[in-house]
Amino acid sequence: MKIGNTDIEPTKIICIGRNYLEHAKELNSPVPTEPVFFVKTLNSIITNGNPIIYPRILYENEEFNRVDHEVELAFIIQQTCKNITSANAYDFIQGFSIFLDITARKMQILDRNKNLPWYRSKNFDTFSVIGPRVAPLDEIKDPHNLNIELKIDGVEKQSSNTKHMIFRIPQVIEYLSSYITLEKGDIIATGTPSGVGPIQPGEIIEASIENIGTITHQVVLEGKT
Amino acid sequence: MIKVGDTMINPTKIICLGTNYMDHIEETGFEIPGEPLIFPKTLNCLITNNQPIIYPKYLYNNRRYNRVDYEVELAFIVKDKCKNISAEKVYDHILGYTVFNDVTARKMQTKDIISQKPWFRSKSFDTFGPIGPVIKKVDEIRDPHNLDIELKVNGDIKQSSNTKHLLFKIPETFEYITKFFTMEPGDIIATGTPGGIGPIDPGDLIEATIENIGTLTNKVILEGEENNL
Repeated sequence: MKIGNTDIEPTKIICIGRNYLEHAKELNSPVPTEPVFFVKTLNSIITNGNPIIYPRILYENEEFNRVDHEVELAFIIQQTCKNITSANAYDFIQGFSIFLDITARKMQILDRNKNLPWYRSKNFDTFSVIGPRVAPLDEIKDPHNLNIELKIDGVEKQSSNTKHMIFRIPQVIEYLSSYITLEKGDIIATGTPSGVGPIQPGEIIEASIENIGTITHQVVLEGKT
Repeated sequence: MIKVGDTMINPTKIICLGTNYMDHIEETGFEIPGEPLIFPKTLNCLITNNQPIIYPKYLYNNRRYNRVDYEVELAFIVKDKCKNISAEKVYDHILGYTVFNDVTARKMQTKDIISQKPWFRSKSFDTFGPIGPVIKKVDEIRDPHNLDIELKVNGDIKQSSNTKHLLFKIPETFEYITKFFTMEPGDIIATGTPGGIGPIDPGDLIEATIENIGTLTNKVILEGEENNL
């Protein structure tokens, strides 16, 4: 797949849940003492400009008809690695992108309350948006001091700064690579700040991170173009 | 890319079913699901026949986490890119069948479930997804829902059942999954494990067998001792 001018070939997408204090509070989730990871599968990925498809099985079902935006800073793995220490973490990062972790919220809460895996609510086709480019490491002096925001139809919904992350990128890589091998091109999304809320068919979602850029996507009901 | 027997596949995802045999549901104390319960494993977990399952030191040396379990499962491989497949068309989109061992860090999983966290880390350690020994084509397996399935540890039978006891059969499972997600050629779906799950330890030899497919054999090795094979 191509993000901006960069070809990447991810084998997995790993996301961190509840990595901004305010977001953990708004979800009534406990503040984690170690990073909470979950997986998104590759069928969910789209890049800049492609529509976010709102599935009919969610839209037409009152139990499930809430789909949320979550803007996140993502980083891309540069090479196969395992057991990386936080001191060396940046040697294994190719660059940074904007990521939207689109989430079927009612379905997620329902599954979570039943102690079921967080999977289906996160992995509908088009529910992982990435772009507009992979900003190389040397362009981003401090990834923990970037304004991050999301607008719907021009109205600001999320606005924060990556300095508010609970677990920082070096810690995340150390922790994650102590479990599993990371491959070149793998995408790690670092969690969303507070302000998550619903999206609706027809809306324009604009997500920005300072020094990386803006991605713009329209939400379209499945079956309509 | 991974070679299972003589067949090269290029999976983009592994989707597993939880609690899909009644006897396993009883032993875990989970509720009987009203629809298939699905979770992913990441591709870093895949190994093939005769490759070692590495028991992470991180789990072994931590009393909170030091239980890792075998789970033998019938898996099927997706043949082509597809979405929204109805149950009666499902077999047109299956390349074939194989044996899968959904190795699970059980204490970690239980702890994560209780705190309502995702089932991810306990399921996706490197080597926690042995697959093989071969992929049997759809036309070689007359009835995938009438196959003896068994797992031995050091020659002792630990799991022994038949795929006829699957709660959600392959057609309804695949119909369900493709309602949500586009499937790609090579994607792996593991259909869940029967009762009899239990721990593995470094040094154990795990043999997972499904009738008409074959036996998947993997030795368990403590991380760091790979060179002492």
